[in-house]
Parts: sequence; C-alpha cells; structure tokens
Amino acid sequence: MRQRGKAKPVQGKTTMKVGDNTLQQIHKVVEATNGQTGAPIRVLQQVQELVGYLPPEVLEVVSKEMRIPLSELYGITSFYSFFSMVPKGKYVIQVCLGTSCYVKGGQKIIDSLNKDFGLESGSTTPDGKFSLETVRCLGCCGLSPVLAINEDIHRKVKPSKLKEILSSYQ
Amino acid sequence: MKRLASVEELTKLRDEIVERLSKRDRKTQVKVHLGTCGISSGAKKVLEAFHREVENRKLSDVTVLKAACIGLCDREPTVTIIHPAGGKTTYYDLSEDKVPQVVEQHLIKGYVADEWKLNPDDPLLKLQEIRVMHNQDLDPMSIEEYIARDGYQALAKVLTNMKPEEVIAEIGKAGLRGRGGAGFPTATKWTFVRNASGDEKYVVCNGDEGDPGAYMNRAVLEGNPHSIVEGMAIGAYAIGNVRQGYAYVRAEYPLAIETLNHAIDQAREYGLLGKDILGTSFEFDLDIFPGAGAFVCGEETALLISIEGKRGNPRQRPPFPANKGLFGKPTTLNNVETWSNVPQIIWKGAEWFGNVGTASSKGTKTLCLVGKVNNTGLVEVPLGTSLGKIVFDIGGGIPNGKRYKAVQIGGPSGGVIPIEHLNTPVDYEAVTALGAIMGSGGLVVMDEDSCMVDVAKFFLQFTKDESCGKCIPCRAGIPKMLELLTKITDGKGTMEDLAILEELAEMVGSASICGLGQTAPNPVLTTLRHFRQEYEAHIIDKRCPAVVCQALFKAPCQHTCPVGLDVPGYVALIKAGQFDRACNLIMQRLPFPLSVGRVCHHPCEGKCRRTQIEEPIAIRHLKRFAADYAFEHGLEYIPPIKRRRKEKVAVIGAGPAGLSAAWDLAREGFQVTVFEALPVAGGMMAVGIPEYRLPKNVLNREIETIKKLGVDMRLNTPISDVESLLKDGYQAVFIATGAHKGDKMGIKGEDLNGVFDAIDFLREVNLGKHVVVGQKVAVVGGGNSAVDAARVALRKGAEEIHLLYRRERRDMPAITEEIEAAKEEGIHIHCLTAPVRVVGHGDKVAGVECVRIELKEFDKSGRRTPYQIQDSEYIMPVDTLIKATGQRPDTSFLGGDGIGIAKGGTIVADLRTLATGRKGIFAGGDAVTGAATVIEAIAAGQRAACSIRRYLQGEELTPLVERNGYVPIEVPSVMPTEEELQERHRLRIAQIALADKKTSFKEVVLPYSTKEATEEASRCLRCDLEVGE
Repeated sequence: MRQRGKAKPVQGKTTMKVGDNTLQQIHKVVEATNGQTGAPIRVLQQVQELVGYLPPEVLEVVSKEMRIPLSELYGITSFYSFFSMVPKGKYVIQVCLGTSCYVKGGQKIIDSLNKDFGLESGSTTPDGKFSLETVRCLGCCGLSPVLAINEDIHRKVKPSKLKEILSSYQ
Repeated sequence: MKRLASVEELTKLRDEIVERLSKRDRKTQVKVHLGTCGISSGAKKVLEAFHREVENRKLSDVTVLKAACIGLCDREPTVTIIHPAGGKTTYYDLSEDKVPQVVEQHLIKGYVADEWKLNPDDPLLKLQEIRVMHNQDLDPMSIEEYIARDGYQALAKVLTNMKPEEVIAEIGKAGLRGRGGAGFPTATKWTFVRNASGDEKYVVCNGDEGDPGAYMNRAVLEGNPHSIVEGMAIGAYAIGNVRQGYAYVRAEYPLAIETLNHAIDQAREYGLLGKDILGTSFEFDLDIFPGAGAFVCGEETALLISIEGKRGNPRQRPPFPANKGLFGKPTTLNNVETWSNVPQIIWKGAEWFGNVGTASSKGTKTLCLVGKVNNTGLVEVPLGTSLGKIVFDIGGGIPNGKRYKAVQIGGPSGGVIPIEHLNTPVDYEAVTALGAIMGSGGLVVMDEDSCMVDVAKFFLQFTKDESCGKCIPCRAGIPKMLELLTKITDGKGTMEDLAILEELAEMVGSASICGLGQTAPNPVLTTLRHFRQEYEAHIIDKRCPAVVCQALFKAPCQHTCPVGLDVPGYVALIKAGQFDRACNLIMQRLPFPLSVGRVCHHPCEGKCRRTQIEEPIAIRHLKRFAADYAFEHGLEYIPPIKRRRKEKVAVIGAGPAGLSAAWDLAREGFQVTVFEALPVAGGMMAVGIPEYRLPKNVLNREIETIKKLGVDMRLNTPISDVESLLKDGYQAVFIATGAHKGDKMGIKGEDLNGVFDAIDFLREVNLGKHVVVGQKVAVVGGGNSAVDAARVALRKGAEEIHLLYRRERRDMPAITEEIEAAKEEGIHIHCLTAPVRVVGHGDKVAGVECVRIELKEFDKSGRRTPYQIQDSEYIMPVDTLIKATGQRPDTSFLGGDGIGIAKGGTIVADLRTLATGRKGIFAGGDAVTGAATVIEAIAAGQRAACSIRRYLQGEELTPLVERNGYVPIEVPSVMPTEEELQERHRLRIAQIALADKKTSFKEVVLPYSTKEATEEASRCLRCDLEVGE
C-alpha cells in the first residue's frame, strides 16, 4: 500500500525548529501558488525544495498558511513517493528497479550497496553523506541498470564499479 | 514577438523562417541529440566540444545545433552531420575526446569517420517508420523550427476550415486509438465529452508514464513538445467549451517538464495559446501539473483527483470522466502519444495515417525496446509489426549468445509473451488475445536467465507498493498473492498454493475498483498460462530453471548441473592443491569424471557469475584435471556399499544413463545386471563420441570401476523381451537404450552407395571396423554428430569436407568449441544450405544437389523457418555423403507389454519418476527424451536409481532425487581475495598441433598443468559461501 517506510515520521528522533526565514519563504510560496489548480501538491513540492524534506513542523506551518487540515497534508505527503518526511543525505542515491533494470541486475546493485557499503535502503548514513532509495523506473531503460546520484545518471552499472562511482562523491 | 493575429500571419511567418533557416542550412549542420539518455552519457560535453573545435579551427561554414533524441539510447551520445548538398551521417558512442577526430576527418578532410558511424542500412533504422518522433532532428526548444515544418498549420486549418464535428470525424476516420493502454478509439471518447452537458470542459494529457520499462512518452515530451500543445488545442476546439487543458507530467522527468513548459510559454507568446488564437474567437490555455510520484495516478480518475491537489485515490466509475471529470466537469484524458498524433492526422489526412498499420490498429506505435536485447532504445514501428521482427531485426537479437525466452509487454498491467509467439503482430487485438496488453508500449526482452516466477513476483511487489489501499481486493489480495509467490520462489510452495494463486488472481482482477487492481494479476496469469512448467519446477523439483530464486540454491553452477555436482567444492579443493579429494568429491555424484570432464556441454559455465567480471571459470576442464590427476596417480575411488540386498535389477543399455543407474543401485546394495547389445559398454560415449575427444582407455577405466562395485555387465546381449527379464527374477527393469537410429533425410538418392548415416559411421569407426571414406565428403546437419562425423572423416583421409546446414551458424546445436575446432581443421561450413537430391553415378554417390535457404517467419521453437530460394540449385560434386539430420530410439523390441511408445519412437515415461505404464519398469535417457546430452542421460540414470530403490522398498515415488554424497568431504571455506577478484581472464586451454589433429585420432585437447589448474580454480567467486552463510 502507498504508505512508504521512508515517508513515516521518525518518532522522537529529530525535532526541527522552523526559522523565521523559512517561515517567510513558505508564506511566499503559498501566496504565489494561491488560486492555482492543485495548490497543495505544488506548494509541498516547492517547500520540500526549500527545506530539503517535509518534517511535521514544516507541514504544520503549511497547514496554517494554506488553511488545510494537517491530516490532509499528511495524507498527501505519505501518498506520493516524491515527498519525504525524513532528511536526506548530501547525495541521494536512487537505484532504479524498473523492469529493465531489474532483469539486468538492479537488485544486485542494491545488494552490493547494502552488503559492501553498509548503505540501507530508505535510510541515510550517520555522517549525512549518502541516502539510498530504490525507485521505479527513471525512464532510462536503454542504459540499464542505472542509478542516479542527485542529478547524475550512471549507466550500465555493475556492482564492481560501485566503489569507483561512490568515491567520486565526497 | 507579436502575437499572430491570423492564419495568414502564421503562414507568412513560416515562410520567413523557412527562408531564414535555408540560409543557415547552407552551412554544414552538426546536430547534437540532447535527450535525457544523451545528456547522461555526456552529450552536453560533446556539444561544447563541437562548439569549441568549430570556433578554434574557424570553420565558418559549419553550424552546431541542438536536436532531440533519436532513440538510440545505449549508443548515446549521438550526433548527426548534415551537408547542405544532401547527405547525412549519424555518429554514435561519441565522447568529448572523440570530437576533434570527427571534426578533423569529417568537417575538414571531408571523409566519414567510419569507426562510430551508424550504418544507414542497419535494420534498426530501416524497419522503423518515424512519425510521432518525426521532429527528432529539430531543436525542441525552438517553436520556429516547428513552425517551419508546418507546425500549427493543422490548428489553423481546423480553426478556419473545419467544424468541430468534422475534426472528430477525421480522427475517427483515421482510426486513432488511445496510445496509453487499452486502445480506446479517440474519436469516440471525444464525442462522449462533446455530447456531455456543461459549458466548462477540460482536456488533459496523461504524461504520468509510470510503467517500469517504458519511457516513450518522455521522449515525445522532450523531443516534440509542440505537437502535444497543438494536438491538445485541436482537441479542445473539437470538443467545445474547453478553455483550459492540463498536462500531467511525472516529476521524475525534469527535462520533459522543462521542455514542455518552454513550448507552452512560446506558444502563448506567439498567440497560439490564450485568447483569440490566430485571430479567431477560439480560446485555450495549457498548464503543466507535475506529478509527485504515484503509479496509480496513471489511472484516469486518480490522475484527475491528483490535479485537484489531493491524494490520488481512484474512484468508482461511472460516472466516467467524460461526464464528470476534473472538478466534476466533462473531461477527456488522452495519452501523450495520442495527442502528438492529432496534428499530423489533420494536416496530412486520415488516409495518410492509416496507410501503415493493420485494419483495426492503424498508424505507428513508439515502443521502448529494453532488457536483454542488443539494440536497446526507442523505436517506432507500424502497428502490426511482428514481435520477432522487433526483437531480432530491429533489436538485433539477444546479447551474449543467450536464448530468447519472452517479452514482457505493457508493464505491470501487461503480461509476458513466450517464444512460440514471435510471429504475433504487435497490435491491440493480437496482444490482448495472448493475455497481455499493449499498454503504453514498454517491451522488455527476457532471456534464459530471467525467471518467470520471479518476474511475476517483481510486478506484484510493484503493484502492492503502488496500490492506493482504497478497495479491499487490491489492498488485501495482491499482498496475499505476493506471499504465495514468495513461498513458491522460496521452494516452500505446494500445488494447492498454485491453485489458490490462480483463484485469487481471478478475484482481484474482477473485483478491484480501478485499472491498477484489475490488471495487477496479469503478470501472474500470463506467466501461469505460458510458463506453468517453471512454477512447477519451483514447487515440485525445488529448482529455479533460470537460476534466479536464491533461496533454492547455493551456487548457480551447481544448480544448473543436471546432476547437481558440487562445483564450487571441487574447484576450491583444486585451488587448495587437494586434487585427489577434488576427484573424490566429484565422484560422490558422478561415476564418469574423466569422460564428463572431456565431453560435457557444460551448462554450468553459462551461468557462472564470474562472467560478470570477464569469462566463466573453465569448470569442465578443471573437472578433467582433477579426474586425470587421480587416474595418473593410480587413485581409484570405489564408494562404500550401504548394505547387501537380495533384490535383482536389470538395466538395459550400458550407456551413460544405464551405467549411472547401475552405479547408484549397486551402491544401494542391489544385484544389478546390465544388458548391452553392442560388444562394448559406454553407449554413445563409446560408439558415438570419437576417440580424439574421448579416448577409449579413459572411458574404459571408468567402466572398470563400475564393474568393481559388483555390477554384472553382459555385452553382446540384446534384450528382445522385457517380460522375460521379470520372469528371470528381476524385480525392476530400467530401459536406457538410447537413440541410435539415424533419421532419413527424405530426399532422392539417399540409398546410393557412399551415403552413410552419421551414427552408423561413427559407430563403425569407433568399433575399429574398416571404413572407407572418399576424397570429397559432404556432411548434412548442424549437431554434434554432424561435426564429429566431419572431423572423423578428415582423420580417415578425406581431402575436402563440406558441412551443410540449413539455418544460420548461431542456430547450430553443436557445442561451440567443436564447431570452432572443425573450422580450424579446414572443414568448410556452409550455412543456409540444404541438400535436395543425392546425385548418383551408377549406384554410387557422385554429388549432392543443394539449394540456398532463406529464413522467414519464426516457428514455435523461436527459430526462423527455412525456405528454399527458387533457382538457387547447384551441384556439389562429392563421393561420400554423411547424413546427421537427427536420431531416434529404436524401441521395436517393446510393445504389448504395457509400455507406451510416443510418436518418434520415444518411450513414454513420467519425466520426474521415470516410471512407465508398466509397474516395475522404468525408462530414461535418450530413449525417452530423444537425443540429448551425456550429463542429462546420467541425471536420468540417477533419477531412475532413486525411483527403483523407492519402488523396491515399497515407498512412494517422488520427483525429488536424493543427492546425498557417500562420505562427507570437507571443503575449505575461503573467500576469494581482493586480488583474485581483479580482472583475470580464463586460462587458455592448449591443444595438440594442427598437423597431428588432421592425421591422427590423438586426443586434441591438452590438460591444464598443476599450476594452471590451481590458478584457474582461484578465479572462482565461491557463490556457495556468499549465500550459504
């Protein structure tokens, strides 16, 4: 069901305070989106861009600004895979598990990242450097298996190449 | 830019741009294709490099431009160079550092840099019909280039010359069907919305391409964005009362969003969106809604709800969106590709559109050809093109010589289409009839290494994650199905689970609210329909034939081996220098290590994981090394006999199947007698395989060992009556008489003197009889017997040998190494050639009349059917002809005893227990399966021994073979070191000198030295430890 592990709030782990500057920026976003179709999703996309993720504290601010119940925003945030309620690493590694990548060994890349590099799917390394996610089709099936690190797409990845790829992100 | 106020202004602008561009086009144009795949492969750097080079070298007659993706995803970056005088060259696999060379050679010296040039005759290009993707040579960021190519003329035409009903009629006449899924007729959908009451309606473009393995919409959005804008404007006009449209594009496609946004802005600026378009009263605007990542939003009601900014839960239909859609208003929702087709249909006409495709599926379809296929990428073909043509001609077939298995079409809602349907035309009806759907056009090719149960599991995992949870059948049913599938792939499934799985699949499909749940069972249903035997292998045999489901095996090599040899174990022992123990370990499961180490077709090597680094381990050759070592050092392994039993068992046939059954049964303590019609034991290993591949002294040594276990071997003793054996006190019989009868070719002159059957020929030579071979020999066939016969004929003094095979080289069933060896020895191989008549001189062979063959449509085995080419007959003068076109069992000694005989003479037996229709009588090996391989025959012998033991001890026959060794042998558990994991190629296997090969029957392949063997063994990745921990 669409209730992804990574979207769940981490109980009692981190509490973040929303600074004045961020408050103002969120206010601006809400104002600029006012009246547009599908405003809540558009606002959440832009706020996530600003803050990096959507912790409960931020959702509360958006809820007040937009006059939309927090429960509804939580419903949206937990539904769409684009939204994250936990902070992400400096580099987000997305390993594609679309059909093409899967038949060409995408799972082996995940296994290697888990086993050889201690990266766990859906979590961030303690130093905040890497987050690992699995995604369903980045639309680069011709290059499969692929993984994306932030904006860069790495093509035809083999487990034996991972060390080299990761070491270029420091 | 001033808004265009009339159609005339648009046309004038077009003419101006054409004029302007024609000046630009007087220069040589370098077009760098910048799609997502290109950019991720470094196309932007290539673009910069071209700019830099052209500037540095002051090439004033060259202009560097941007263009859209051309679909050759795995050969990116691509660049097309167009000469003003005509002539176009496409380069692929370019990189920044190759650019100076291309500039130097092509732009300065004026010849084509062949190395990276795409051959214009490549079927990849030739068989395509580019329509939707037709603007791939333009800069998608430029509205002017689009206008120059009659862009927005279709919109102008409908606004000024066509009534809305006429537009819909034209689309209807063209037969355009929805390109996103089920193929619903577009005109019908538009008519519904047009006829719905309401003065506010919407048009929406579905660009939430969420199917894993599909990205054609991304390419259209990135490459031809204005065609979507124009198409939607035309749709808005045709439907009426539409002032606003939305394009829902998934957020994972940032470049697509950027490109389409840019196109929309430009269209507004030019007055092609907004109020009073082209000076008419028509008003329409378009907005993008970036999807936030939810597969279910590809479903129409969910997508529309998502645009409203809510959770994308689908809702029950009716009411359909045509009546109650976005914001409760009548809405049409069409796919990206559907919209993109609209302007061309209007501008070029319905007839033009329908001049490709089939009667009910007209036009073209973009497809994503991905997975295990050589040319991966985006292709566009006429609907109705056969699957085989797409995979093998356009796609260039399967990489690494692997065998094609199936394509998965239509994503998680679709299904798999197996090899026997390669002739299926890819159109809506034909694909649906096979249980799949066309879907958006994702076509994932799968080969022998793809497990169909695992594929079904993959898609269910996907739909389980993506289910919105609103309705129970989908929310609860899919996880339950996934649970059952996981049970099966873990080897814990039962046949009852399979029945429940099927029942659940039907239920989820019929009871779910939306398309996601309704189609989610399709991957399960189609794999069950076409690959039920794979499910059964997981359940009954606890085997994953594709060697994917990890819970079922330790190492892939061992799992692939028909007798389950502990390959990592003996390879590790060789690495540790314990060669005698390595041989003993092999002999726990195999009484023929010397022979199998020489002649096995080694399926294990095909699955070796070392291939991911370079090549597979030389498993077969290492086995031979260990066996040779024991042989040369006089070490003999005779396993302990469990306990003496009094029951007598008869084995008919002393081939690999019969002898391995005898070995296992003797070890159990039974009194075993083997009856052999020939004067030698060993079956095909003795009389089929030539001396130079398997020396007799080697084979005989192994047969002697079997005798030492107490097996009574009676040669020259054909059995004519199975019944009499039972009367003689044998309580069980195993029939393993092999397949020793050669098939006829069915052509004239087959009975002339000088025509041999390969099986007879090889037997006579092997038995040391006097065989006279002529000077010039033709061998007909492509299997191991054909290659063996050819190489034996050479050694028997023939001067010229021609091997005739009716299909292509890659289709030859013979072991690759043997074909290579034959070529090296100077044997001429003529593929696509078939004999039609043996020409006689008196009663002797004087020649063979051959025809050339062309291969056409695919047959059920996935091979192309050979057809004779007219008037291509020619006569090849030969004095000897050896036919090796197939062999079958001679089962004429059976009959009337309750044992069934199938067409083709094979014995009918249960493939798992090997029980025949007659109690106490079992059959296996080539006599049951038709000609197969040595290792498969050995596996059958072991299976038979297991069943016979169970039968004699009153146990139930079960399909599982006991694979316990006789005495435990400890294997070192040492993982390979970092150094051993470095790229190290397989050690070369030496052979005797060519001159010796041609003139003697000396064994051709030389063994590894001790040093070589330990080194090769150290390449092993020890997959058994990795998973076994």
